[in-house]
Amino acid sequence: MSAPLVTAEKLGRRFSSGGFLRRRPGVQAVVDLNLSIAPGDIVGLVGESGSGKSTIGRLLLGLIPASAGRVCFDGDDLARASSAQRRRLRKKMQLVFQDPYSSLDPRRTVGRQIADGIVIHGLLPSRQIPARVDALLRQVGLDPSAAGRYPHEFSGGQRQRVALARALATEPVFLVADEPVSALDVSVQAQVLKLFADLRQSLGLAILFISHDLGAVRHLCDRVVVLYLGRVMEEGPVEAVFSRPAHPYTAALMSAAPSLDVARRRHRIVLQGDPPSPLDPPSGCVFRTRCPFAIAACATEAPQLTPVGGSMHRAACIRVGEDTTHRIDDELHRLAFRNNQS
Amino acid sequence: MRRFPWVSASAVAFLVILALLAPYLALPDPTRMDLAGRFAAPHASHLLGQDEYGRDVLSRLVWGARVSLSVSLGAALLAAVVGVTLGVIGGYLRGGAEFVTLRLTDILLCFPPMLLALLIVTLFGPGARTLIPVLAIVYAPSFARVAYAGALTIRSLDYVTAIEALGAGRPRIMARTILPNIAGPVLVQFSLAVAASMVLEAGLSFLGLGVTPPAPSWGLMIGAARATMSQAPQLLLWPCAALTAAILSINALCDGLRDYVDPQPAARRPTRLADRTAPGLAAPPSRDTVLSLRGLSVAIDTPRGAIQPVRDVSFDIKAGETLALVGESGSGKSLTGLALMGLLPPAARVEAGRAWLDGIEVLDSAPDIVRGLRGDRVAMIFQDPMSSLNPVHRVGDQIAEVILAHRDVGAADARSRAVALLRQVGVPDPPRRAAAYPHEMSGGMCQRVMIGMAVANGPRLLIADEPTTALDVTVQAQVLTLMSDLKRETGVALLFITHNLPVVAEIADRVVVLYAGQVVEQGDAAETFAHPRHPYTKALLGSAPREEGPPPEGIPGSVPSPGELPSGCCFAPRCAMRLAACERPPPLVEIGGGRTSRCIRWSEM
Repeated sequence: MSAPLVTAEKLGRRFSSGGFLRRRPGVQAVVDLNLSIAPGDIVGLVGESGSGKSTIGRLLLGLIPASAGRVCFDGDDLARASSAQRRRLRKKMQLVFQDPYSSLDPRRTVGRQIADGIVIHGLLPSRQIPARVDALLRQVGLDPSAAGRYPHEFSGGQRQRVALARALATEPVFLVADEPVSALDVSVQAQVLKLFADLRQSLGLAILFISHDLGAVRHLCDRVVVLYLGRVMEEGPVEAVFSRPAHPYTAALMSAAPSLDVARRRHRIVLQGDPPSPLDPPSGCVFRTRCPFAIAACATEAPQLTPVGGSMHRAACIRVGEDTTHRIDDELHRLAFRNNQS
Repeated sequence: MRRFPWVSASAVAFLVILALLAPYLALPDPTRMDLAGRFAAPHASHLLGQDEYGRDVLSRLVWGARVSLSVSLGAALLAAVVGVTLGVIGGYLRGGAEFVTLRLTDILLCFPPMLLALLIVTLFGPGARTLIPVLAIVYAPSFARVAYAGALTIRSLDYVTAIEALGAGRPRIMARTILPNIAGPVLVQFSLAVAASMVLEAGLSFLGLGVTPPAPSWGLMIGAARATMSQAPQLLLWPCAALTAAILSINALCDGLRDYVDPQPAARRPTRLADRTAPGLAAPPSRDTVLSLRGLSVAIDTPRGAIQPVRDVSFDIKAGETLALVGESGSGKSLTGLALMGLLPPAARVEAGRAWLDGIEVLDSAPDIVRGLRGDRVAMIFQDPMSSLNPVHRVGDQIAEVILAHRDVGAADARSRAVALLRQVGVPDPPRRAAAYPHEMSGGMCQRVMIGMAVANGPRLLIADEPTTALDVTVQAQVLTLMSDLKRETGVALLFITHNLPVVAEIADRVVVLYAGQVVEQGDAAETFAHPRHPYTKALLGSAPREEGPPPEGIPGSVPSPGELPSGCCFAPRCAMRLAACERPPPLVEIGGGRTSRCIRWSEM
């Protein structure tokens, strides 16, 4: 593996609420995150709403400051970078949003928005810009005639391609894609996912792919990080995590997703209750309040990520040392049986 | 439609040019008195007559326009520049700038504008020169407020974050991204400010604190004419008419400009036509059929003509059955559900079709009959539970309300029934939760409350429009389980509208696949998913990511918009199996086993 491009060390982010004089403790959105992404790597970040996925994306881009730990990009600490340095780094990393309807300025033509990055950083003399915009539009599979039109003239999938062209204009090496396909129609999702895979291939982009769609993560990503309430529950290579989830939350998340495959449908853990409020997380393991396997020790001890098998697969569960896969499978069968009975 | 507002623009231009050219027009001196010609009626040398000092009214009107227009336009412009700058800086940068902007405007807004203007004029002395800054101070706070509110909304939108991520500086973002997007409300505010300062100028001049006599101004003219109203009422008419015309044309121009600078075409006011064509004779529905829909077409009037987002859709749902209406965005699935509830948006209308709910016609009935059925025999669940519940009422009361609307029971009975319903839909601790407000509950809990509300009166049909799309996967699994339990227990028929095929596979008995407003395939869910008989269904199934196997294929191209439908098969342009014969519209054909397909090559699949 080559040297990492982006690294996060003990990264944390707290959002405080309250007024001018009275500050309330606030929400710990991200806790102690360690992550490194190598050039050409696609890392999937999965979790439910409120798990801190989007916050992590914005922290890695330096769009919001970290309240603990640090983010390094290409060896430079983002928080310590001078403003000139930061401008240079800004060019190298970009963001693609979930909603292609709100991420494009409705009042300016697509071509001008794509050119923004080039103009801001003075990358090209102005007469070469139209040709570059044409090339970018082609790269994302759109016709160059699109440049003169306004965002509302495009469909969702086409808008997402425009947003991607805009992000690629500054020739970034790192892309954060925040739920880039979840607002799109199913038939279009696959096209856009394929485009991401192609871009990684042709441009060597490193991508942080934030999603709640496990199917998309499975097909696109090399590694996956599973979040719950701002903490990493499990991480590792996609094949390992998906075929042998070691953390009960990962297993529940995977079994909860509706499936077209009839055989899989019988194995289901329906988690009871809702995720706890991030304002007041449970003590010890934050998942214990919904975990079918929780024991007394889970309430006192915050579990650390520990290796499971080989190949960088790690999970944060104190019962991970036990024969995990059998345990989860057994439990799935037991629950399925109980569900069928009731 | 984006059309430059020529009419109002030329009216304003006419006024401005007239005012600018006043010195060069062959008009009598507006201040030259002619006591002999007091109150003279209009004649050749004085087209609008003469005033109480014998001065020419037309000339005074034109010269007065110079003063009125320059004061009001100048003041509004100055107020706009100052106010918008403060507002955008405050709204975008927040922090100290926000504090300064807000408190400054708050202080100014504490004073009634007239009093504030009077105060400043008294300090600096009257005259047209002082009026412009005075009026600008009076109107700047409202610009600041409008710009501040706009900037605050827009700064949190993704496209602002996107341009920040591109590395744009703050001044650039404020000038190039925020400003154009708040142009609409600012223009409206501008027209209001022009009108208001024109009136205020007239008022101040009338009080002797604005333009000083004998210089002409519309306000002075009105003031002077008031004194002689009984002798010469026409003198009051001319300046008032000029004032009205100027204000109206400036307002019209600003409104027109607002639409013109907005690149998105505005939706035209809907017209409601009562032309519902007879759908032909349909067989009366059988006894256990809860809903029978025949030939539903929905039309929407757009500036480019009527479009049909739903065309000739028919299906039946039996008691205790779940029918999934599947399609992508723009397939017409939600409109179909809304049409059945009689809840189509104002722009849309049912153009053709009949629907029987328990034998009662719902599409062609009087609105109050349909209203009586809603919440009683048919109920609906929406996608976003948080915005579908009323935030200011307790959830228990909201459920009780639905029961009281249709059942003759006491309030206490309704409330205890509401608690029982909450228990039935799996809300923990129902008596306490009944007293909670929606914002105190999670999305999953709110959706349970919505479902409880929907089944409160024991409906025969439940229409669920993407009920789990806004929920997390683990919560979605809970809600799907709840809905199938309810169906089994109560025998309610379920119309489940969704784009999510795996969810359909989990919950549906039968499936209707919509594409571009038409049914393309219909049949038993398991059968259809195992052996699709339409290329679109097949491609859609191939687009959903699977646990195993290769990455999904996707379908090239995108759904045609209802305004630009292909002449033949709507799916043909994206279809791998298309033939020359697909240029003609294919019929929906029975293919056996209770299934139908709208593909001429269904048997080859």
